[in-house]
Amino acid sequence: MGAEGKAENNQSPWKLSLDSWAVVVALLAALLIRAGVFKHIPW
Amino acid sequence: MADVVTVPQVRPVQPALRFLRVIPGVLLLGAIGYAGKLLEQNVGAYAKAHHWTFPNIEYVLWAIVLGLAISNTVGVPEIFRSGVATYEFWLKAGIVLLGARFLLGDILKLGGVSLVLVAIEIVGSLAFMTFLGRLFKLKPKLTTLLAVGSAVCGVSAIIATKGAIEADDEDSSFSIAAILALGALALFTFPVIGHFLHLSDRAYGLWAGLGVDNTAEATAAGALYSDAAGKLAVLVKSTRNAMIGFVVLAYAIYWASKGQAQAVGNKAAFLWQKFPKFVLGFLLISVLATYHFFNKDQVGALANLSRWAFLLTFAGVGLRTNFRDMRKQGLRPFAVGAIGEVAIAVFTLALVIGAEKIFGF
Repeated sequence: MGAEGKAENNQSPWKLSLDSWAVVVALLAALLIRAGVFKHIPW
Repeated sequence: MADVVTVPQVRPVQPALRFLRVIPGVLLLGAIGYAGKLLEQNVGAYAKAHHWTFPNIEYVLWAIVLGLAISNTVGVPEIFRSGVATYEFWLKAGIVLLGARFLLGDILKLGGVSLVLVAIEIVGSLAFMTFLGRLFKLKPKLTTLLAVGSAVCGVSAIIATKGAIEADDEDSSFSIAAILALGALALFTFPVIGHFLHLSDRAYGLWAGLGVDNTAEATAAGALYSDAAGKLAVLVKSTRNAMIGFVVLAYAIYWASKGQAQAVGNKAAFLWQKFPKFVLGFLLISVLATYHFFNKDQVGALANLSRWAFLLTFAGVGLRTNFRDMRKQGLRPFAVGAIGEVAIAVFTLALVIGAEKIFGF
């Protein structure tokens, strides 16, 4: 197994991948918008 | 004393420090993206005021071109690099938020069509790239990496496969360089060809999602054509991304059967580990939007937030593309990738035109 594979296996189970972090942050932002914390996002 | 000398201590980077390190680069992404947005508004207005004939250049292209100009002239200074690398994070967060603009019915309808096309594209591309790799006598694992990179989802697929089949670092950097260089070319050629052929937004979006390898480039190539094409390109590309686990698993089993990679134990766990989680986030937001969890204004706010996330992504695409580095990687893998990509682009274009005639979308 390559170094990368070993590193993957040694990761703590609670450590989130970049993918999962992106989902968490996006869902959190969606909830804040739903709760009315951010009413308008300009573009 | 000897122990102190022979066992080097690797200091873990504190999360707070890691967070601080990315700030300059994220600010740079934001500055370039925002400059692109300002250029879109002001250059067009200036040209109109002076009665010049000037094409309307979208912020997407300005952001990429500004990034490319910096990367290929002064380069990206070290202090910005960690932050610039976060463009993948913004891309994935942007895709999740984009889910608010899709109703579940649309996803099922378009996703169904795109799933069939994606399956045909993946099988055809893997077979053709494998044939080309053999023809050009590339190393078998390098061929596998190039095949996966062009058939499924660019750099992420190459990295996932590299770990699973125990490929060399050199092979993976060759493949990544080839896929990135070709992705940069596709970014500029796809919209030109699409306009030349007068493709509809739907046909073009499908084509960009099927034919462009990297998710960031596919998103940008779609957005360069139109907003509707960009949305569809993301949906189709996400369908391709969802296939990554199955393709990597198949290759891992193949190389393990040849005794050149470790056998895969728990296949379900392997599939879950490789599955792109942002696809699930995208579907979840879409389900919530479909069942009116968000009102109209909130959907608008989510869509705008998604645009900001993509703005940072497009700046990052330009900044991480360095033509000098790509030239160093050698010609043969690039030639195989280029021939393969042109063939895949033609093949997927024919698929899309055929599907448009059959399904009439």
